[in-house]
Amino acid sequence: MAGNPMQQFSVHKIGPEINIGGVDLSFTNASLFMVISAAIILIFLFVGTKEKKIIPGKVQLIAEMFYTFVAKMISDTAGSKAKPYFPFIFSLFMFVLFCNMVGMLPYSFTVTSHIIVTLIMALFIFIAVTIIGFAKHGFKYLTIFVPSGVPAVLLPLITVIEIISYLSRPVSLSVRLFANMMAGHTMLKVFGGFVISLGLLGGWLPLSFSVALTGLEILVAFLQAYVFAILTCIYLNDALNLHH
Amino acid sequence: MKRYLNFFIALIAIQGDLYAAEAGMPQLDPKYWASQAFWLILVFTVLYFSISKFYLPKIKNNLDDRENKINDDIEDANKSKELSESKLKEYEKILEDAKKEVIKIQIESKAKLDKDIHEKKEKIEKEIEKELIQAQKEITELKKNSISDIHNISKEIATNIIENISGDKLNESSIKAAVEEISKKNVGKYL
Repeated sequence: MAGNPMQQFSVHKIGPEINIGGVDLSFTNASLFMVISAAIILIFLFVGTKEKKIIPGKVQLIAEMFYTFVAKMISDTAGSKAKPYFPFIFSLFMFVLFCNMVGMLPYSFTVTSHIIVTLIMALFIFIAVTIIGFAKHGFKYLTIFVPSGVPAVLLPLITVIEIISYLSRPVSLSVRLFANMMAGHTMLKVFGGFVISLGLLGGWLPLSFSVALTGLEILVAFLQAYVFAILTCIYLNDALNLHH
Repeated sequence: MKRYLNFFIALIAIQGDLYAAEAGMPQLDPKYWASQAFWLILVFTVLYFSISKFYLPKIKNNLDDRENKINDDIEDANKSKELSESKLKEYEKILEDAKKEVIKIQIESKAKLDKDIHEKKEKIEKEIEKELIQAQKEITELKKNSISDIHNISKEIATNIIENISGDKLNESSIKAAVEEISKKNVGKYL
């Protein structure tokens, strides 16, 4: 397990092989940590909503803080029309945040450091936002590619750029999260390896780097979850309030 | 520092060599992509439904309850404040009325007192005048009486003086006439 900094990202099967229609759907360590993250969220919310106190306890306060944090984020970026999508964005934010945070524990697995996971989430958001856009505005939704107030000469160029930027949304959204998580964890692993290989004499410098990087990575873990959620809100805002 | 840095770079190179054989990103190995996608969708769906159907309404209810409670409390506080303000106004009004009453009473009593004093003063003045007149009368009477007394005394004194000086006894009536004449001449000076 030690050594290769990429080793931590390898997926391996846990338990029996599940094969449905020729597709390998086995339970893996990635699945395990998805379940663990979701379980932690649900337990946290269970404890946080167990007692309905006017003056909240610690866990209740944190749960309510998450609620108001996400609610404010949505209302600030996407307005009141985005209220029906609040549960989805809340779940998304919590899931990404807790997957990132659980991944910070040593010997754990970071679900969000896999491109396939982030890509599926990003693609789902992209397709859902596009469907919502067309459902709300019909073909007028295509005017999202034609920003107003642009000189006629530049309009074809701008439209092409807009289309490309729109289509690259799922890629940028997924790669941002995946690359951040992977790079951070790889770096931690590399410095951890230095600590071992430099031994008692030289290992202190990379150890201090490791400590600092751990702090940074916790910040990144939160920040990337926030960025993922807020970009979803912004895409949703484009689809709901069509004014470019 | 630079030596350390070189050391690190060398180490990275060595490590890179060591793991070159098994290098590569496990993320790009499609072996478990389907599994990851499947479990992600499954886990996230369960998470989404339990959060949206169960936990979010609970949190929202609690937040709403708290907000309602706070609003109610604020309303109560405002009501109490209004009540106390109206009470204060009432109190001030009462105070003002009392002040007005006091001034009124003061004016009234002053007027009454003035009247009283005036009446008494008039009465006393009348009495004083009466007494003055009386006194004047008495004085006049006394003066009148005193004139005859003076006449008598003067006559006796004159008789005595004459007797003592000359040793003769003069006719009383002539003395009396002389005294009366003198006093008539001089009485205007003293009375």
